Amino acid sequence: MLNLVLALLSGVVGALIVAVMPKVRNRIRNLVVLLFTILGAVFSWRVALLVFAGKNIKIAGEFAGFSWSINPDPLGVIFALIASSLWIFAAVYSFGYMEGKHNQRTYYTFLLLALSVTLGVAFSGNLVALYLFYELLTLVTYPLVIHERSPEAMKSGKKYILYSLSGAGVILIAIVITYSLAGNLDFAGNAILAGSTGSGLNLLLALFIIGFGVKAALMPLHGWLPGAMVAPTPISALLHAVAVVYSGAYGIVRVVYSVFGHELVRQLSFSRIMPWVIAFTILMGVIIAARQNVLKRRLAYQTISHLSYILLGVFTFQPWGLAGAIMHMISYSTLKVSLFFCAGIISEQTGEKNIDRMRGIGWLLPKTMVALSVAALGMIGTMPLNTFWGKYYLMKGSVEGGMWPLAVVLVISGIINAYCFIPVIVDAFRGEKVQGDTEKGSKVNLMLAPTLLLSMVSILIGLWPGIVWPGVEAVVNWFF
Amino acid sequence: MLLVILMAIPLLGTVALLLMRDRFAKIPFVITLTVFVLGLFGLKDVFGGIPLTYNIAMPGPFVLNFQADSLSAIFVILSTFLWLVVSIYSPKYMEHEGRGWSFQLCTMLTLFSVLGIFLAGNMITMLLFFELMTITSYFWVIHRWNKEAIRAGYFYLFFSIVGGLVVTLGIVMMGSATDVLPTIGSGMVTPLNPTLFGWSIATLIVGFGIKAGMVPLHLWLPHAHSVAPTPGSALLSGLIIKIGAYGLIRAGEFTGWGIKLGDSMTWLASTLLILGTLTMLLGVLNALIQSNAKKLLAYHSVSQMGYIILGLGVGLYLGADGGLGLSGAIYHIINHALFKVALFLGVGVIYIHTGETNLYKLGGLWRRFPVTAILMLVAVFGITGTPGLNGYASKTILHHGVSLATETGAPWLIWVERLFMVVGVGTAASFAKLYYLMFFGKPTELKINDEGSPKLQIAMGLIAVVMIGIGTRPEFLLNSAIAPAVEALGIENISTTLAHLSFWNFHDLSGMIITLTLGILVCWGGLKSGIFHWHLPTYMTIEGIVKLIVRGIAAIIQIGLKGYVYVVESIHHIGEAMSSRLCSDLRKFDKSKSSTVFGINLIGITADVAILILSLGVIIVLYTLMNPSLL
Repeated sequence: MLNLVLALLSGVVGALIVAVMPKVRNRIRNLVVLLFTILGAVFSWRVALLVFAGKNIKIAGEFAGFSWSINPDPLGVIFALIASSLWIFAAVYSFGYMEGKHNQRTYYTFLLLALSVTLGVAFSGNLVALYLFYELLTLVTYPLVIHERSPEAMKSGKKYILYSLSGAGVILIAIVITYSLAGNLDFAGNAILAGSTGSGLNLLLALFIIGFGVKAALMPLHGWLPGAMVAPTPISALLHAVAVVYSGAYGIVRVVYSVFGHELVRQLSFSRIMPWVIAFTILMGVIIAARQNVLKRRLAYQTISHLSYILLGVFTFQPWGLAGAIMHMISYSTLKVSLFFCAGIISEQTGEKNIDRMRGIGWLLPKTMVALSVAALGMIGTMPLNTFWGKYYLMKGSVEGGMWPLAVVLVISGIINAYCFIPVIVDAFRGEKVQGDTEKGSKVNLMLAPTLLLSMVSILIGLWPGIVWPGVEAVVNWFF
Repeated sequence: MLLVILMAIPLLGTVALLLMRDRFAKIPFVITLTVFVLGLFGLKDVFGGIPLTYNIAMPGPFVLNFQADSLSAIFVILSTFLWLVVSIYSPKYMEHEGRGWSFQLCTMLTLFSVLGIFLAGNMITMLLFFELMTITSYFWVIHRWNKEAIRAGYFYLFFSIVGGLVVTLGIVMMGSATDVLPTIGSGMVTPLNPTLFGWSIATLIVGFGIKAGMVPLHLWLPHAHSVAPTPGSALLSGLIIKIGAYGLIRAGEFTGWGIKLGDSMTWLASTLLILGTLTMLLGVLNALIQSNAKKLLAYHSVSQMGYIILGLGVGLYLGADGGLGLSGAIYHIINHALFKVALFLGVGVIYIHTGETNLYKLGGLWRRFPVTAILMLVAVFGITGTPGLNGYASKTILHHGVSLATETGAPWLIWVERLFMVVGVGTAASFAKLYYLMFFGKPTELKINDEGSPKLQIAMGLIAVVMIGIGTRPEFLLNSAIAPAVEALGIENISTTLAHLSFWNFHDLSGMIITLTLGILVCWGGLKSGIFHWHLPTYMTIEGIVKLIVRGIAAIIQIGLKGYVYVVESIHHIGEAMSSRLCSDLRKFDKSKSSTVFGINLIGITADVAILILSLGVIIVLYTLMNPSLL
């Protein structure tokens, strides 16, 4: 219980300290930020260990007539671990990336606040708490999206907040309906709507999926995501490739497995449409990505595609499919963050954002490009990397669920991913060396260290998936 | 334990290379010699029928699993031998090419991953080393870092990765069809879901077929193999593509060699037969019109892989009587590896001295390089199937297998046999062309330097000795290594089949002589008439057709994307129009002077009534939503 409270509060407290701290030297503030992100991660790990050991940790209360509860279960804990661990990497990267940039205090304050809110989403034990944190996440990350304050940033920010809030509004309606049908919103125990009947359930599921689908960037609700890439790179990496978008995907997993229960969803006709929407998103996202010339935008569209991998695993309604979804959630996050970090280093050191002008950049930034190559191979889903396992179990789930075309879709998506990235890797080590700063100095070291470490972690998990397997197994056993 | 030690030695070599960057010349030789000796003596007992296994226990879903049965042992010994030969050859060659250190590093790592593939005990371990091998051998292909090399490397990487993905899909499907993922070397599995199982085998064939250069998945091969430095090309052509064949044999193991396939899967064997024949034919036709010696050899790799795939197809088609096909395929894998490496090394010697691989610029070199010329002649005789050399042995077995299939099988198989002969003639013709243009004909005008070293010829000589040994005593290898392997794969009657086989009968010998004579005649005619310079128009080659198909798909996607963007944009416009319309309408409430909006007089409505109407509306909406039966 104490661990849970401390995990949730460490971000808030850190944010308050950073906000009220007098103008001091950057180094001290960085230390404070690092300290509180590490605290957040440490307490999340402690909560996780308790939950995996079978303990039920619960905080509950009343809010405006609704009872809310915070009650982590294996699924939430996995999400919390992914987010809080990656937050440390992003914080360290930010120290290098934000050096000499304006408005750092706001940046770090909201970065820490977002940590707390994300953990809140992960740990929430009923729909009310989930909804509150989900809304808060939009508000807390908005200042980070518009960090540049340029007209483009403001426009993207407006789009981001409009999309997210309308999505949340739809969720609110769905929650009200759920409450009126079941009279209970807790995730613990059986699924909330288990045993209900009626054709309206289809509509309810659609409402939920449209609502969470906005943040999970399900096509055609993905419009905000590519625009939100105007944010500083660590934010794009952490929030728009992992934390925020995962909260959407996490919401959908919750809806399917905790609100409806997979036995019920399986019978709804709407769930038979979903795999095709997801397959469309997977293919369309990566096809559009292949046509982008700005590296960050290419990564953004690819995010859209890969998020649907998770949803695909969910909608196979198979234990293997869910295992694949969780595995993909874990492994994809490390690699995508590392990819964005590489894009950030490239643009910081050479000022280059366009892929067609990155020829020969590997001679200037060898370590970065090696990390990018590793991550790119991971996006394709080749073997020595952790995403292979995600893909493998997703395919297994699709085949065993009798939906083999989805497995083929995954293979085709891998091929298009290869088409997306292999030219980037190959061209990077060809032709003349480009002009720019090399990989020397403390600024770039701060950015490189987390990037390389993430690549190594990915390879380690890829060679030894047993490290994360107990977590995946716990989630699958929880729901099946 | 031996299996892991075998694999650890190349890794040790890598570490040694990394530590001693200045004095690395001897390391590859020492390492490969150790692995070869250890492999030869350690795996000798495996042929007795007792496989070695070793598991590295790891928690979680993935267990590193190693095994060595007789098939693995054949491949391991073959690959370590070839690596040994290349490590004698390459230091001198790489002095000429440059950046020898990085080449040796790739060579060591590739040896590690290749051993991993052959010793893998389950499909996922195999896939791990398969992907590692793709990445390490990629650096062979792009060794020169010029435009051509990078382009070829791009195709190599792309196709290999696609192959890996397809193999993954095959493994997944197999795992689902059989409940538990079958281990390699465990023989046939009984699937729970035969249809899915059949498809999984088909998927595996496509995936490994990419590696094996099976038509029409061979497009990457000639480019990648001809652009690498010659020792790299030799190993790529000699061994790396055999990994595809190895995978096919293992896939066949799951379906059961030696078992007449049920009705649901005969199409598999027929498909393999047809694809093998096509691969043979297209490879040799393309080889005939090449002017670059390395490209010619690379296309011949495609063609010879066709023989191997054909052999596997025959084996699968005939079931219990398919021993000839399968053993012919394995035998040909060994033989092709030997002579293809020798041929590449020979071309490399000429390249060191002249800096040229274009056949039409070479000529009359036998006076300057008599030893190389003789060693090349041995290799050429080997690949064309001249009696007395190793190629004759495996081609004869394959021919017997095809004849057997023709006698007992479907009528269309007669065409396979006819094309088999045509390909033999084509092979002879193209190598007559290679040899003639290189060593005879008009003397070359190129300047010839004296950078040679006897080590180059020693490496080639080593292979030539083995080739002559196999060629004169073909039964020895067949009975001591290949028959146990085939038997372990499930064809029980192989030893009786082979006992009836005689290599030195009049029919086979005369057939081969006729083939060779015809080949030389075709070569003579081709060189006189200039037909070898004739190229098909692009739209008729497979490359052109594939390009057209890819363009077509790209165009369709383009159109689809345009449509999609149009739809999204129009929705956006509709939304914008609606909101602006709505806003202006709502504003009318505030700004209306006449107090009339949409013809409704607002003066009569007080605030209370307005609120009442609004809340009633909300309640009605919510009520309908909450009572699904109304919807």
